[in-house]
Amino acid sequence: MLSTQKASVPGWLSRRQLLKSAASGFGYLAFTQMAHQAAARDAAAGSSLLAAQPTHFAPRAKRVIFLCMNGGPSHMDLFDYKPALNQDAANGKGNLLASPFRFAQHGDSGAWVSEAFPKIAEKVDDICFIKSMHTDIPNHSQAFIQMHTGSFQFARPSIGAWSLYGLGTENTNLPGFITINPPADNGGARNYGNSFLPAIFQGTKIGTNQIPGFYAAFLGIDQEPGPPLKNMENRLLSTAEQRKQLDLIRDLNVRKLERDAVHPEIEGAIESFELAFRMQDEVPSLLDLSAESAAMLKLYGVGAGLATDRFGRQCLLARRMAEAGVRFIEITSPVGWDHHFMLKDKLDESCRATDQPIAALLTDLKARGMLDDTLVVWAGEFGRTPDAQSGTGRDHNNKGYTIWMSGGGVKPGLSYGATDEHGYQAVENPVHIHDWHATVLHLLGLDHTRLTFNYAGRDFRLTDVYGQVVGGIVA
Amino acid sequence: MNLRLMLVCAIFAILPALARGSENEVPEDSAAGIAFFETKVRPLLVKHCYECHSTESGVADGELRLDSRGAIRNGGTRGPAVVPGDPEASWLLTAVSHADADLKMPPKRERLPSEAIADLKKWIEMGAPDPRLTEPAANKPAWEKASRNFWAYRAPQASSLPRVKDRQWPKSPIDHFVLSKLEEHELSPSTDAEPQVLLRRLHFDLVGLPPSSEDRSRFLEQVKTGGLDSALAAEVDELLESSEFGVRWGRHWLDVARYAESSGTEANITFPYAWRYRDYCIDCLNDDVPFDRFLLEQLAGDLLPYDSESERSRLLIATGFLAVGPKNLDAVDPKQFHADVIDEQIDAVTRSIIADSVACARCHDHKFDPFTMSDYYALAGIFASTKTFFGTAVSPSNRIGGDPLRLPQVAGQKVLHASLPLEKVQALKSQLAKLRDEKQEMDDALKAVFSGKTPAKKFTLQDALRVFWQSGGIEGELEKVSDSGEALPLTMGVLEAEDISDVALLERGDIKKPGATVPRGFPQALRLEDQPAIPDDRSGRLQLAQWLTSRQHPLTARVIVNRIWHHMFGAGIVATVDNFGSTGERPSHPELLDTLAVEFVQNGWSIKRLVRQLALSRTYRQSSEYRHDSFLSDPENRFLWRVSKRRLEAESIRDGMLAVSEQIDLERPAGSLVGRVIGDRPVSLIGLDKRLPADLDGCLNRSVYLPVIRDRLPDVLDLFDFAEPSLVTGSRETTNVPIQAHYLLNSPFVQDRAKGLAKRLAQEATDEQRVKKAFVLCFSREPEEIELRRSLEFLNCETKSPGEPAKVDSRQLLSLCQALLATAEFRNLD
Repeated sequence: MLSTQKASVPGWLSRRQLLKSAASGFGYLAFTQMAHQAAARDAAAGSSLLAAQPTHFAPRAKRVIFLCMNGGPSHMDLFDYKPALNQDAANGKGNLLASPFRFAQHGDSGAWVSEAFPKIAEKVDDICFIKSMHTDIPNHSQAFIQMHTGSFQFARPSIGAWSLYGLGTENTNLPGFITINPPADNGGARNYGNSFLPAIFQGTKIGTNQIPGFYAAFLGIDQEPGPPLKNMENRLLSTAEQRKQLDLIRDLNVRKLERDAVHPEIEGAIESFELAFRMQDEVPSLLDLSAESAAMLKLYGVGAGLATDRFGRQCLLARRMAEAGVRFIEITSPVGWDHHFMLKDKLDESCRATDQPIAALLTDLKARGMLDDTLVVWAGEFGRTPDAQSGTGRDHNNKGYTIWMSGGGVKPGLSYGATDEHGYQAVENPVHIHDWHATVLHLLGLDHTRLTFNYAGRDFRLTDVYGQVVGGIVA
Repeated sequence: MNLRLMLVCAIFAILPALARGSENEVPEDSAAGIAFFETKVRPLLVKHCYECHSTESGVADGELRLDSRGAIRNGGTRGPAVVPGDPEASWLLTAVSHADADLKMPPKRERLPSEAIADLKKWIEMGAPDPRLTEPAANKPAWEKASRNFWAYRAPQASSLPRVKDRQWPKSPIDHFVLSKLEEHELSPSTDAEPQVLLRRLHFDLVGLPPSSEDRSRFLEQVKTGGLDSALAAEVDELLESSEFGVRWGRHWLDVARYAESSGTEANITFPYAWRYRDYCIDCLNDDVPFDRFLLEQLAGDLLPYDSESERSRLLIATGFLAVGPKNLDAVDPKQFHADVIDEQIDAVTRSIIADSVACARCHDHKFDPFTMSDYYALAGIFASTKTFFGTAVSPSNRIGGDPLRLPQVAGQKVLHASLPLEKVQALKSQLAKLRDEKQEMDDALKAVFSGKTPAKKFTLQDALRVFWQSGGIEGELEKVSDSGEALPLTMGVLEAEDISDVALLERGDIKKPGATVPRGFPQALRLEDQPAIPDDRSGRLQLAQWLTSRQHPLTARVIVNRIWHHMFGAGIVATVDNFGSTGERPSHPELLDTLAVEFVQNGWSIKRLVRQLALSRTYRQSSEYRHDSFLSDPENRFLWRVSKRRLEAESIRDGMLAVSEQIDLERPAGSLVGRVIGDRPVSLIGLDKRLPADLDGCLNRSVYLPVIRDRLPDVLDLFDFAEPSLVTGSRETTNVPIQAHYLLNSPFVQDRAKGLAKRLAQEATDEQRVKKAFVLCFSREPEEIELRRSLEFLNCETKSPGEPAKVDSRQLLSLCQALLATAEFRNLD
């Protein structure tokens, strides 16, 4: 069991032991000495909890970039080509809505992609489509939370937190799980939360604070109003002085934790202050996009007033973070996908804002040799109905939809599973959210049945008691 | 379509399935067979199958119903579910025995116990005796069942005190309920917290500030002389009287009221008059305005009688509740914009007051709760007959102009915008007249083009935009001043619309697809015997408010009592404080919640009285100490075996730092930074436009007075989990991430507070006294020996030379002060 493995990781145990022995009545000297020793050890090994962990078996992917398409993109209009739907709609059968987009086959794999995604279409030979996804509830918040945590009923750790808990991080100077521009609704922080896992596994939110495109174009401004993270520099203390200050804070926090015996909030604060200190060196340069060449910015579609500017920045940041060793990076599309009305125009708008940046990310990762061990995921919380809603849009559909993955050990150029002739329900090789979670963990070298955390006497896992690895998509 | 929606309901169907077929005896079935069916089979079907296969649930997965003799024998797409006498041929048995990998029922659950499967088999072998001859009546409206059955839709009933074994422990009725639940779960309450711990908890919970060192000495002295009970009672009374109570508790309501000072979404235009509503809420909480009256004012203040202009002004400001929501000012279609404003109002009103959203029923009947599209459009008619004043002028970034609401002139009323010289007013008026002429010419030209003539004058799109923007801007300017140029007092709010009418139900919520007109009214599932009728010539807002605040209303009192409980204990009796619907959690102490709700109404809806009751309970007085066995049995502390440890809210963290540094300014500032400085400049240019303040946190006032601009919150609020101002938020998140540490370690704001604290401590004679004082100020306790020595070591670490008395090392002291502000203990409550 990984949970027992975890307990034998030196850093993890040592702090626990330290706290226990300190609580059992060591005097002041022992207290500070041990605290300092532990700190020194932590500094050497990276933060204890965040240190890289052995996997259950050889991993295919070392990190994940999750492109989160908030709102439920319409699979029948993007990837799941349904000629029967168009035909039946034309014949006035039921209340069906024909796709307003033309489809064509692309690449050697011959995957169908609609005209709304011209650049992604060029990448299909690197992509593995799962066209038979299904989830439990066709309601945004429940489905969004289930996509992130497996459970919409109970507060559970997010998939990013589980991944980081299982793997540790490759760079202890950065948070191992970063989420850019997550939505405040649909469960908010629960979608990148740690729940009962230690707080250090929580996603760190980075807002992008960008200005709306029409202003940027109007004013010719292509800078952001401020860095996405502030307060990275101390104007009063030298680094050495700040380290001493931090030692004092940590000692007082440790003493508090000792008195409280169990207090996750304090434990989390101890870890996150140490991480914060280490981040200060690395973060400013990481977030500085001006270091990128003009060609690179152009590739991603970054520029004043461009429809792709916002998501382009996010994708570029994601690549920089992946390069820097962040384990799980989630970026949320700044345009929504909830197209109940005016699907033709609005879906097209969302596609235009994301198509080029996503294709650029795949191109860039591949050129850097990183696509092999980086799993890129494109997914929304559900798909949409073949039926028309208000004549111009589609309703939520949890019974069948498409997501795709690329790199990181999935079979490239594959379309797995299928929905029925109209795209309503997954009928061939259905893949439930739990199965998808199991598969992502599998690609990361983790057995979803063994990645457990004991909370209040019970072993919990991301997939609860469900989930089957989708072997058919693993290369 | 309908089927799929209902299917969703079924997943969540929590209402006990009440299927009852005909009670008639069936001739060919033996009495024993019927008895076997009734005792063994029917309960199994009801419990495990009806959810997805019955008329009651509205779902027939695989076109199969199992709720009548005919239906079960006819079966669904796969064929007969039951073939009497032939278990092998009966799909029902195949499915429940999990013999077929593709057909495992019930889905995603453990297989039924073997005895159950054996019973079904035996029943089929017996010839499947089945008295359910009559088909169940279809399509009983969901609301009718729900209002009968669902706990939250039945009127709350007070309970008598439950029996408890330990009769010494309870100090109030609340404690009886809590203790009885604990005993039922073989748990015991924790010991009382130390007085100084209690004092800190009380101060933060009631006024959002730490106790001063004088408060602490006085309180500890009172405990010593008069005992804990009387010391606590006196302290609670004093805090309830303090005007800081309203600052903290008004903010709780502002979370729920999704209060903000800008429209949000892409345009994000400021609301320069929103602050009046903020101040109104704080004042109401301080004055302990009865909660029913508080709601009445916010929903229909404009329709209430008044005896003075200042009361009229107050009542108009109250309706800001309906106006401060997020608005999509980029909307191209004004009709769509209007429909969205109404939708937002329905959502905010229902979610905040009855903890469920009727707004889900805009496009289809509510998926989980008994609200129908008719319910939605009945409410929509009320808000469509209401005019919302949000006061944003048309500009290049704002397509939708919104009038401000003019207040009566009252002495001493703050007006933040400037008056205009008379000449300026006249110049603007003539400019506007010219623009209107130009608009007229354009319209004529357009008409000419349409009728195939050559227009007298040609215009470009640029011309049209220029005229539109400029006129909008000037209209905005002129709305703010009188004819003589004097700045007018303005607010956000609502009035009755000129046209009072019912609205049409919109098919799938589409404004282009109006259906039948729905009379204005309230949700059917929550109808009350004495509910007021809406007069033809009134919007119905007043009646809506009266209905919501009726003593019979099942939800209003429960929801607010639960919200108050949540703020005192860190979690509600119903944990999902904004969701009392079927997808919400059930109450942990239903009898207690109901009893409190009934008493709350009987006691005149007094929030202060309820807060006092909770604060003086033994339950609240418990220590927060960890106990392993209790934790294992109740890790979430749902049964309150201790007081939960909590992190402070963003405002308390910031205000706490200002308080211990003695830099806090408790005065209410004039209005808000938004009204005073930002005005109507685009929010998105903060940080880029030098005329705008780069730092939204440049003041020393309490945090409730910081600007609340959607998507551009001051750092401290953003980092420490402020309520998302576009959503009704009864319960905030608590995150714990490194960027919070960066703020505490590096931000100029915290460094300045450390300076203030250091200055304060420098007045003490020795380092030891400084450290002791610092701990008392920051944590309301003296340092332990080990902490004292560690802190002294830190203070002297660079400069100590032997034999010399230690002087104040201001640099180290400053660093120590900031360290204390950054400790986890500072921002956590025990």
